[in-house]
Amino acid sequence: MTPREVVGRVLLYVLLVAVTLVVCFPLVWAFFTSVKPKDEIFAWPPTLWPEVWTLENYRALFAGKDAYFQAGGGVSTAAPPSAFFLDWFLNSVIIALGTTAISTIVSTLAAYSLTRFRFPGQRAVPYLALVGYMVPSIIFVFPMFLVMADLRLTDTLASLILGYVCITLPFCMWLMWAFFRGVPVEIEEAALVDGASRLRVFFEIVLPTAWPGIVAAAIFTLIVSWNDYLFGRVFMNSMENLPLTVGVMHFFDGTHVDWGLMMASSVLMTVPMAILFAALQRHLVAGFGAGAVKG
Amino acid sequence: MSAMDVRLENLSKSFGSNVVLKALDLTFPERKFVTLLGPSGCGKTTLLRLIAGLERASGGAILFGGERVDHLPPGERNIAMVFQSYALYPTMDVASNIGYGLKVRGTPKAERSEKVGVVAKVLEIPHLLARKPRALSGGQRQRVALGRAMVRKPDIFLMDEPLSNLDAKLRATMRGELKRFHLDLETTSIYVTHDQLEAMTMSDLVAVMHEGVVQQFATPEEVYDRPVNLFVAGFIGSPPMNFCDVTVAERNGSPVLMLAGRALPAPPGFALPRADEGRRLVLGIRPQDVRLARPDDPGAVPGTVWMVELIGSERLVEVEVAPKLRITAEVKAEVRAAIDTPAAVAFDAAKVHLFDPGTGLALPRLG
Repeated sequence: MTPREVVGRVLLYVLLVAVTLVVCFPLVWAFFTSVKPKDEIFAWPPTLWPEVWTLENYRALFAGKDAYFQAGGGVSTAAPPSAFFLDWFLNSVIIALGTTAISTIVSTLAAYSLTRFRFPGQRAVPYLALVGYMVPSIIFVFPMFLVMADLRLTDTLASLILGYVCITLPFCMWLMWAFFRGVPVEIEEAALVDGASRLRVFFEIVLPTAWPGIVAAAIFTLIVSWNDYLFGRVFMNSMENLPLTVGVMHFFDGTHVDWGLMMASSVLMTVPMAILFAALQRHLVAGFGAGAVKG
Repeated sequence: MSAMDVRLENLSKSFGSNVVLKALDLTFPERKFVTLLGPSGCGKTTLLRLIAGLERASGGAILFGGERVDHLPPGERNIAMVFQSYALYPTMDVASNIGYGLKVRGTPKAERSEKVGVVAKVLEIPHLLARKPRALSGGQRQRVALGRAMVRKPDIFLMDEPLSNLDAKLRATMRGELKRFHLDLETTSIYVTHDQLEAMTMSDLVAVMHEGVVQQFATPEEVYDRPVNLFVAGFIGSPPMNFCDVTVAERNGSPVLMLAGRALPAPPGFALPRADEGRRLVLGIRPQDVRLARPDDPGAVPGTVWMVELIGSERLVEVEVAPKLRITAEVKAEVRAAIDTPAAVAFDAAKVHLFDPGTGLALPRLG
């Protein structure tokens, strides 16, 4: 390596470390705030490293609402918002997994048929779908609320799953369509000649080949359905049925913000996504890359 | 291993209004290596895909060993196919690629491994069995594709331009190996190519196709020496056959062919009766059968050297014998000719081909 290359490499790493610090700082700040006692959170000048470590915020979030059940049944009105954190977490998990399962399966099958079967409009559908995805979701949310109300689905997890499927499906389908276009038809024909049925070809040859694309579509859907606030805010109203993003806003009220609970919730919301990203990062890059190049 | 003949009866295929194959009647004899040869778009790959069951015929029938198979899916025809792109399963290793057909047919794992091992040994690829296709070179992928086809012991072996993605040297090696495998397997093989060298070197029989019609179905020697029409004559042979318009005339009571003002003796083997005088014909002569002569040679057609190209051990000399009429001679590289100098071309009348310019068909030969 020449001295010029060494300097270039060092500068690159300095830049990467700087960018990483900027990106990670809010997360680090949130984590340290979540393990500080309340008086230290508001200490001046502010400190990053806690003087006293406490898990009181996490304990409050995991306490659940059992402690607030009334004798006659139901939850006491005196129950603080943090009592519903586990419900919100479970709701978000159900919504995210439900949306991901439906969006991924439907988009995979739709994209496969768009690349393999001939019918009128076959070429236009993927582009029209992408145009649909480009429209801001705020434009859809109120008409969709009216539809959900007609279907008597408002304030149910199903309404959010359906809503998120509507906004994620077009992009997932486009992504999978671009991916399947890069999968040669000949490998399917080779399997047919080898004696496999159409269904077997799809499951044993096509799906494993398209796996990076499927992972990319699934992660995209997970992120959207896990992070969205708008649909949850409009479609839901019972405390028990809220998704995490809407629920944690109850830690704000007119006069008071519970930053400790807010930061602990933020950390707990980030952890599942961070683990998922770390585990699937390789597939994600391959999936988006393949779709982009071969599409 | 069993082998079957393949019979096509009135087979046709259209894509919408585009007719790709026109009522083919053809029999590929069992254990023979038959090549479908033709330019791009002539329907040869479509025909192979019909035989494989990957396309449905618009009309007619396909019979294997006398049994109709056109209603059967590809997996039930006991065929094997090698694709132009090899079509290896990218997520499986080489052993799984070769053994997939056996797995689908429910062959026990131990038996499968044994058969895959035997085929890998024949193809000299046992060291590659654990690799994924992306870690293989073009030649290695080719062998895996062959292995996948061989392991099931098919009745009919179909190959769709399997050498076209290889470099020239490897292609030459694989030509020999494919022919060798065919002889060892004793299976009916149908091979698609646009490369006449492959067709001529490997085949027992060649079907030359053009615009969805089999123009000639014969041995490579016959296709080369006795082309049935202008298309086959022009398509087979490299460099391509020279074609010149000639007129039948009479000199001293014998028929002659008038070419660029010169009277050439009528080729033996063709009946050119007196009534044919004035008839226009197309004369075909292969560059290998043309020699350079002195410009004053009375039996030669004089002209001017238009272009000279060295192609290794031979040299191509194009002589312009009339405006826009050039005849190419393939001569030894040692023969020198300078562009724009006088020259003449001569050829043995016995090597001449004659065609009717109206129908394009070769004139019938005597005997």
